[in-house]
Amino acid sequence: MSVLHVVFKVDGAEYVLPASDVLQMESFTGATPVPGAASHVEGLVQVRGRVIPVVDARRRFGLPALERSLDTRVVVGQLGTRTVGLLVDSAREVLKLDPSKFQPPPPLVVEGSKGFVKAVAQVGPRLVMLIDFPRVIGEETPDGDGKR
Amino acid sequence: MTASVDLADFLPAYLAEVEELLDSAHRHLMAVEASARRGAAHPKSVRELFRALHTIKGLSAMVDVEPIVSISHWMETSLRQADQAGGRLPESSVEPLMEGLRAVEQRMRQLASGKDASPVPSGLLERLEALGVSTSVVTGTARPVAVTLDEGLALASRLTPVEREQLTTGAGHRRPVRVDFIPGAERAARGITINSVRERLAALGDLVKVVPLAGPAPGGGSLTFVLLLSTEASDSVLMEAAGGEPAQVRALSSPPVSPAVDGTPAPEREPELELEEPEEARRSTGTLRVEVSRLDEALERLASLVVNRSRLQRAVTDLTAAGAPTRELRAILQENGRQLRDMRAAILRLRMVRVGDVLDRLPLLVRGLRRTTGKAVRLELDVGDAELDKAVADRMLPALVHLVRNAVDHALESPEERRAAGKPLEGTVRLGCHANASGWVDLTITDDGRGVDAEAVARRARAPVPRGSDDLLELLCRPGFSTREEVTSTSGRGMGMDIVRRIVVDQLGGELRLETRLGVGTTFHLRVPLTITLLDAIIFECAGLRYAVAVGSVEELIEVEATRVVRPAGANGVALVERRGQAVSLVSLARLLGSTQAVDATPARGLVVRQRGDLVAFGVDRLLGQQEIVLRPLEDPLVRVPGVAGATDLGDGQPTLVLDLNALGAARRPGAGGREERAT
Repeated sequence: MSVLHVVFKVDGAEYVLPASDVLQMESFTGATPVPGAASHVEGLVQVRGRVIPVVDARRRFGLPALERSLDTRVVVGQLGTRTVGLLVDSAREVLKLDPSKFQPPPPLVVEGSKGFVKAVAQVGPRLVMLIDFPRVIGEETPDGDGKR
Repeated sequence: MTASVDLADFLPAYLAEVEELLDSAHRHLMAVEASARRGAAHPKSVRELFRALHTIKGLSAMVDVEPIVSISHWMETSLRQADQAGGRLPESSVEPLMEGLRAVEQRMRQLASGKDASPVPSGLLERLEALGVSTSVVTGTARPVAVTLDEGLALASRLTPVEREQLTTGAGHRRPVRVDFIPGAERAARGITINSVRERLAALGDLVKVVPLAGPAPGGGSLTFVLLLSTEASDSVLMEAAGGEPAQVRALSSPPVSPAVDGTPAPEREPELELEEPEEARRSTGTLRVEVSRLDEALERLASLVVNRSRLQRAVTDLTAAGAPTRELRAILQENGRQLRDMRAAILRLRMVRVGDVLDRLPLLVRGLRRTTGKAVRLELDVGDAELDKAVADRMLPALVHLVRNAVDHALESPEERRAAGKPLEGTVRLGCHANASGWVDLTITDDGRGVDAEAVARRARAPVPRGSDDLLELLCRPGFSTREEVTSTSGRGMGMDIVRRIVVDQLGGELRLETRLGVGTTFHLRVPLTITLLDAIIFECAGLRYAVAVGSVEELIEVEATRVVRPAGANGVALVERRGQAVSLVSLARLLGSTQAVDATPARGLVVRQRGDLVAFGVDRLLGQQEIVLRPLEDPLVRVPGVAGATDLGDGQPTLVLDLNALGAARRPGAGGREERAT
């Protein structure tokens, strides 16, 4: 039983999210900054009439900032009643993945990813990482990370 | 003349009331039409229609709108006869009556926009008059009793022929009477005003005209209202209705009408008596018309209570920290918070209107479309008791009108096409509505027409064929997109779906979806919030970004002159400006917002806000204007931060932050890097 997953890239690495958690993908034309919000919050965007917060994946993962390009995407994810966008370098692929193929991440990955990676899977020669979306968007803790 | 000022004061109330009556008239006329088509009578609606027109006539006479008086008079006459014929109205009478209502409506709009009502369209009165004659033949109505008016007393020059006729042809025991009412402070204090007198007299007879006269009046007044009516009430009853001395009651006809002139039997008048009674019942139905602005005002007052409560809360927290026994105080405070929330909910509920009432006009719209398109359409409304905030409803209506119009004009096939497709000849447009629990209202507009042809849409939009209904909707909502070559009178050229989406999605923050099957029909799903918060906001620019603040929160806008700004040493960026001889702290908003841009330059403008009793000026770069905005609260914990009340769309598709300067200043005071340190 394979499940559709959305694939996106951050700093060369490939991450996936179950497609059922993803509402849509939008190109990025800038966000309205929200003063006082956590540093990984890029700002607000309006997606089909909804005003949603966007989390910058690079800043969240502690990676250097990258010039936004035409490839930059906002992956709009659904988390219960919340709708939050994740700003990624690019997102253009959908993969069918068998959930049983996911393995717990190797210790090195766990350490490097601050627990944002829930599992990894091998797809041919590629390694994709299943991210822990609630953790990435930083649930109830607006000032949870405090570092960049 | 002072009197004209008084009449101008009446106008808004007059327009509001007549508009309501017109709605009711339209509704009942359509009910009558439906019955007439089946050859059946509809006495209740005929009577309601009559009543509405009767009241319109009376009100219009008061504010002296002659064309509306004439139109409603002749409509009323023909309806009186239909009523006496047991509520039977020939189908052929519907159109002229509809035309009459339209003419009244048109004149209302002229008055509302400050113009004079244009004269009655040529031929309309004749057509309406002809209706009266044709129905009267069937019934043999009460013969009018001729009475001679005392011209001097009756201010004859101010009367139109119609009014004169109304005064003199009161059937049976009615006689024309002039009541002079002199308004005064002492009478007003007892609740006796021209409005109350007018109402009471209208209940006693047929109030034909109210003429205000300026000049010395008995009892020391300088204004007299002359009320001319046809009534059977005695002088003493009228005198009492007018509030007693110094009012006067005078008969307008020299010879009193004898009870049975020409042997007119009294029972003939009975239907009319019945008509007058429910009028009173209508007035006592416990509903009240309130201007929305007053509700908003109540809400604003409540907001200041809430602000006050948080000050109280802070004070109690300080007390608690200082070791004071505050347990009971805190319990009371908590209870107080609950009460404020309940109060807010109660006020918001006042703004709710029934969706059904909002959609009152749609049957009329569809009726019009039936005529212009030649298609057979049935409109089904299934809206139940769902309610919407008035502000949402007002914004939604144009979108719904648009969708219904599109459905009839574009989606439904001609009767021939429908027959060929094996469908019922009469197309159906169905509007459903229900509120769901989480503060949203779902609306659906369904037609059983031809469905949206995705390929045709793609061809016209010069785009690839959309794969799903979301993509199809996307194409349909492109600005200026049209599926039609030619301009039609009903929908114009464009489908105008972009407008629908703009209203539903961008303005109201709702959702719009489409479901369509070729040859079977189309459904639009709309989801809108039950309520929205409207704000009068000042829009300004600060560090290259636009922001909005509620007008009510800003005490004053000042110009900041760089040369007059004092920067005390060690004040950490807080400067002082002089305002009417007082030093006011000036805080750079850009700095407060944590802008990374250079913020040392002196801001050009200051928004003066009262903070804990003190005035603080927030420096901004540029004021862009003032406008009404829809406030969207930010619910996600990621962006729920003090000082940001929400976001709004100023029309560029980008969220603009709505700031709460008060909270922003307070939140950034201590512990936030000591950005603001005030010398007290």
